[in-house]
Amino acid sequence: MRVNKLDRGYAIAGYAMVTPALLVIALVTLFPIGYSIYMSLNAIQSTYSGFQFSFIGLHNYAIIFGIAEFWQSLGFTTGYAIVTVVIELILGMLTALALNQPIKGRGFAVAAMLIPWTLITVISAQMWGYIFNPVYGVLNAILLQLHIIGQPILWLGLPNLAIPSLMVADIWKTTPFVTMILLAGLQLIPTELYEAARIDGASAVRVFFQVTFPLLRPSIGLAALFRILQAFGLFDLPFVLTQGGPGTSTESIAMLAYKALFNDGEFGPGTAVAVSTVVLVILLALVSLRALRTQVGEVES
Amino acid sequence: MTRRLALRKGIGYLVLIAMLLVIVAPFYWMVITSFKTNGEISAFPPTYFPQNPTLLQYQQAFYQFGFGVYFRNSLVVSLVSTFFVMILAALASYALARLPIRGKAPIMVVLLMISTFPQVGVIFPLFVLFQSIGWLNSYQALIVPYTAFNLPFAIWVMRTYFIGIPKELDEAARVDGASVMTTVFRVILPLATPGLFTGAIFTFVACWTEFFFALVFNNSNALRTIPVGIALFGGQFTIPYGTMFAASTVAVLPVVLLVLIFQRWVVAGLTAGAVKG
Repeated sequence: MRVNKLDRGYAIAGYAMVTPALLVIALVTLFPIGYSIYMSLNAIQSTYSGFQFSFIGLHNYAIIFGIAEFWQSLGFTTGYAIVTVVIELILGMLTALALNQPIKGRGFAVAAMLIPWTLITVISAQMWGYIFNPVYGVLNAILLQLHIIGQPILWLGLPNLAIPSLMVADIWKTTPFVTMILLAGLQLIPTELYEAARIDGASAVRVFFQVTFPLLRPSIGLAALFRILQAFGLFDLPFVLTQGGPGTSTESIAMLAYKALFNDGEFGPGTAVAVSTVVLVILLALVSLRALRTQVGEVES
Repeated sequence: MTRRLALRKGIGYLVLIAMLLVIVAPFYWMVITSFKTNGEISAFPPTYFPQNPTLLQYQQAFYQFGFGVYFRNSLVVSLVSTFFVMILAALASYALARLPIRGKAPIMVVLLMISTFPQVGVIFPLFVLFQSIGWLNSYQALIVPYTAFNLPFAIWVMRTYFIGIPKELDEAARVDGASVMTTVFRVILPLATPGLFTGAIFTFVACWTEFFFALVFNNSNALRTIPVGIALFGGQFTIPYGTMFAASTVAVLPVVLLVLIFQRWVVAGLTAGAVKG
């Protein structure tokens, strides 16, 4: 009886302690999302006395799905996410495997890898803008000096060069993050497994594919999930480095929504783009979470 | 056997050196550019080391472009947000780690999902709300969203640490008649310092680097943070790279120092993420 009463007291304290945090989160994320959905189902007129709504169902979605620019930015964002995440995983895996060896200067290397992660994306975008500059950029200078190219290249001036250039800047900044997550996963693999494989005479490549890779799958899945979701929010880098150009070839879906909402005053279609992004990200997260669920479940129990 | 090990180590060193060079090179380029004169900055081919090193760009960044204001704004917003995140997350994660409340597992999963919400989904309603209550161009317009967006991760990390602290310590405190609050602030938090550091560093870095909210909510010059200031630096046709990189170097230093000093806890945070999924 006394224990029950005590328990109830602790439960009340518990709810009191969780509520402020959950309330702040709900107020800033869940309610605005709800309002975005509501706005996306209305035709919106901006008047002096505020917004005037008239319900039009899914009409705004029909509008954006009929616009080529929407599909183009969605295609760009998706392709960008897939390519950068795959390359980051490969490079991150190589670096993590190297860092997992008992070599000198490991602490220093780990510290150095953290630097791009702390860098303000806008700063890295300006930095790469200067490197890619067609008139006095250092990339053209080096390639010219090595006689790899004959004349300066407009790195950000053509779609099929601007997209890879943007990817290079992103991969430079985020690979270290992937490396750290994979390294953490590698360190959880018991060394006895490697010793056993070595005694059996397995080659390094075989050890990687038969021991390391299967055991590292949860970490790889986690890194991929984080990065894909981040990539779908892509905004800072193209906003500064290419302004979405040339044309709209590097316009991410977040930039499209920003343009519609804050430059063109297309509130209904703009919120429809924003809501579509959220739905897409949630679906992706759910699919990936399913893959990771066994792991989360284990930890919870 | 030993030869194979030596070979693997050799490849390891090669990969690491290549990786470090690639990481450091663009960074080096930015920092040395900030010490060049304008003439040297737009010279082609460029010089790989400043011919006449100068602090002029730094002077300009602060006196002509008012970079000091951006720096102060970033500092205020990031520190206050981190403070609120730590208090709210400490309370919530203790309850979620130890106290008998319902729905812990769903709460944790929802928090994880929210931590990946694209900002674009909330930015316009928040903009309209802040406009109607007169919050645009204010510190709270950034502090409130930053607190909310960084809470989920901080709760995840800190809860992991709280779970690792022996339950007997809570029980001993209870037997001594300590209230829940006393237990949290006097017994648990001092033992969870690494978790607190990790949560605080991640939150601070996220606030320090955030751009989208800052661009939309605070666009008056007096309330811009560093990312917005640097994104909108200079005119439409010429970008004053030297001054901008001087400002950038100053903006990068505090965070790099912070992360290098607390490197262990940053790595621990990423590890916690990997383990907990």
